[in-house]
Amino acid sequence: MSTVEAPLYPIAVLIDELKNDDIQLRLNSIRRLSTIARALGEERTRSELIPFLSENNDDDDEVLLAMAEELGVFIPYVGGLEHAHVLLTPLETLCTVEETCVRDKAVESLCKIGSQMRENDLIEWLTPLVKRLAAGEWFTARVSACGLFHIAYPSAPETLKTELRSIYGQLCQDDMPMVRRSAASNLWKFAGTVESAHLKADIMQMFEDLTQDDQDTVRLLAVEGCAALGKLLEPQDCAARILPVIVIFSQRPEGYGGANAIEFPETDLLPAYVRLLRDNEAEVRIAAAGKVTKFCQILSPELAIQHILPCVKELSLDSSQHVRAALASVMMGMAPVLGKDATIEQLLPIFLSLLKDEFPDVRLNIISKLDQVNQVIGIDLLSQSLLPAIVELAEDRHWRVRLAIIEYIPLLANQLGVGFFDDKLGGLCMQWLQDKVYSIRDAAANNLKRLAEEFGPDWAMQHIIPQVCPIILTIDLLHPKSKNLCSLGVLSAQVLEIANDSHYLHRMTLLRAISLLGPVMGSEITCSKLLPVVVNASNDRVPNIKFNVAKVLQSLISVVDQSVVEKTIRPCLVELSEDPDVDVRYFAVQGLQSIDQVTMSS
Amino acid sequence: MTSSVDSNSHGNLDEQISQLMQCKPLSEQEVRVLCDKAKEILMDESNVQPVKSPVTICGDIHGQFHDLAELFRIGGKCPDTNYLFMGDYVDRGYYSVETVTLLVALKVRYPQRITILRGNHESRQITQVYGFYDECLRKYGSANVWKIFTDLFDYFPLTALVESEIFCLHGGLSPSIETLDNIRNFDRVQEVPHEGPMCDLLWSDPDDRCGWGISPRGAGYTFGQDISEQFNHTNSLKLIARAHQLVMEGYNWGHEQKVVTIFSAPNYCYRCGNMASILEVDDCQGHTFIQFEPAPRRGEPDVTRRTPDYFL
Repeated sequence: MSTVEAPLYPIAVLIDELKNDDIQLRLNSIRRLSTIARALGEERTRSELIPFLSENNDDDDEVLLAMAEELGVFIPYVGGLEHAHVLLTPLETLCTVEETCVRDKAVESLCKIGSQMRENDLIEWLTPLVKRLAAGEWFTARVSACGLFHIAYPSAPETLKTELRSIYGQLCQDDMPMVRRSAASNLWKFAGTVESAHLKADIMQMFEDLTQDDQDTVRLLAVEGCAALGKLLEPQDCAARILPVIVIFSQRPEGYGGANAIEFPETDLLPAYVRLLRDNEAEVRIAAAGKVTKFCQILSPELAIQHILPCVKELSLDSSQHVRAALASVMMGMAPVLGKDATIEQLLPIFLSLLKDEFPDVRLNIISKLDQVNQVIGIDLLSQSLLPAIVELAEDRHWRVRLAIIEYIPLLANQLGVGFFDDKLGGLCMQWLQDKVYSIRDAAANNLKRLAEEFGPDWAMQHIIPQVCPIILTIDLLHPKSKNLCSLGVLSAQVLEIANDSHYLHRMTLLRAISLLGPVMGSEITCSKLLPVVVNASNDRVPNIKFNVAKVLQSLISVVDQSVVEKTIRPCLVELSEDPDVDVRYFAVQGLQSIDQVTMSS
Repeated sequence: MTSSVDSNSHGNLDEQISQLMQCKPLSEQEVRVLCDKAKEILMDESNVQPVKSPVTICGDIHGQFHDLAELFRIGGKCPDTNYLFMGDYVDRGYYSVETVTLLVALKVRYPQRITILRGNHESRQITQVYGFYDECLRKYGSANVWKIFTDLFDYFPLTALVESEIFCLHGGLSPSIETLDNIRNFDRVQEVPHEGPMCDLLWSDPDDRCGWGISPRGAGYTFGQDISEQFNHTNSLKLIARAHQLVMEGYNWGHEQKVVTIFSAPNYCYRCGNMASILEVDDCQGHTFIQFEPAPRRGEPDVTRRTPDYFL
């Protein structure tokens, strides 16, 4: 880089490289602008470099982007604040190019420079620039203008301020949606600089216009600035004019602080919300549907039933699956607001129809919130109306729906109680153990453990163990080594059926269930019922079963007595540790090492 | 055989596998060590690697890591479930590095529980065009990892034989191969050639027309039902299981159930809208196909499922 040191050389190098065909060289020279400016000195930077840059704006976007960024920190190189305005010319041009990134960066740099400029210079240089851009023929200039008002406005004299507000108002109604989008997303910044009297009149009018724009993207952008805008207003104004929109859209209700507690005229709010629930754009309906519960919580039950419920009914039949999914994820929360009668008469039917929705996410969202309804309508009615649907969903084509149902079972068991559970759901719980999908079988094994915890070992002894253990025993009957087990005999038809469908992954699930049940059932049952099944499975022909036997045995060491470990578990692991299969040997040795560790520590 | 049950020898590898399961790639040095070990194991395998049932047979993955994770959620975890993958782990998807590293790591840790065959994308030439090379460059800053993996690919077995009945390979049959012994006899440790028997095994497709045909792919051949029947008869096979072609339902029978195509990359290239599937061959050699859809993805845009045909 020694060439840069020579005082006259650098500008030549720069111009040379700026014209080079290689974009990398052009980029490099732009990134070295500050070095070059230093070498040139302040005066020549102002008189030669900046004009040169202003003219050379027909380059690759990447080069322009770099230029826009460099100019933002260029004040020291042009001679400090009193000359800062010379930087505005090249940046103004960059504000009008086609590439959005370049324009955004130019606006950012202008804001950076503008926020340091002296008040008089702002009036003399920046405000006219903003006005020129706002009146630009091509929309790109007008898009950029929107992001500069908050810099120009504070220092402007009264008449100019009035003019700037009126120009911004025009930008909010520009023919081009891109300009309105920019006006919407910059509105809160501008609003922060406007005096409170004008805020209520002018700015809020713009805000309301933007939130009712034809284009959904404009509406959404306007709403995103809500929280910032709300903070600028008096509480009453905020409640009346921002809150309606916030309640419906805001992703972060905490943004407007205590505004929720303020009384506000329901009559204004409700029609606005209902209008959004029925908006033409699915995106808007999704956002609105997702807030239905939150909204109902601030209404009286009568109003909710009268105005919101009909919309909910419509939305449950919406043509967009995403709207239905959004509704399904929150509508259960309406139950406590509506009360028991309205929930049963009106909410429940909607809900049952969503449970049968063709789109799996809708069904999933409903299931995951079922507990909220239990609390309102009571378990009897729930079991009458929902259980048939749940039984149907237990065999849903989508495994994640089945999974959601399984995960809901312990809660349901808890609320239904033992009696009801045995009849209706016991069979399902066994059926899941043989599901095609591993994750379902695994969840089913876990579910048995949770049920055993819920209803206690006695119940599990009666309802789970007899079903789980014989399955492995039966399959083993196929194995020549275990013919003598035939005398065990009495097996239910269902279990035999499963045995014929012998599949090593299903047997593995049962081993998994046993290892989970052991600690819940306690030492005695584990020794008398579970352990023999596991030991017997160590003769399986499939190595995968054998090394899982080793893993289960290892997990049962801490459940049973030392004597049982020595008498039953160790011999079995020793035999497995001599298996021809390397993985069986590995896990058997792991098990034996655990025994030794336990023995040593005791 | 006896020394390999030392309980600490796998600690590091077990950790690497759980790291890879979270879609976090290994370091270049770790990849190098892993691939050295994999080479030792793979070079002892046959061109027609014998595999015992039960086993779950899978088709193309193509760097769709999250869908491979879904495959394990559906089929079960390795080593509890035995797996046979029929090639095409890399290219197209965004996570070829993580996908192939995970499968190779599982192979090294559980050589008896997983078999990984070579697909036509496990090649130096193809990976330079379809993404794996660029992905390695992007994720490691150099082509070293690409070099290490493509050198390893030369050792991958070309075909597998499940219980002497199901012949598994990536592409299909070759006019220069009549018996399985023909395959056993050639030297596979090389880049996939442009023509010849080794190329055909990785490139050919079954076809409705009888006899041999010219493949529109420019490599391999198309083969008709008569060819499949003759090959299965000569070699006492029940079925040819292969991958290589996108099939909308995830699996597709052909040649009167003499051939089946299995494809395990759901919504292939993130836009084809196809189902994926795996084939479970259980202890009694019963067959079950399990279909699955793309794993739900956080943060990625929800792309419309059905793309008009003219985009494909």
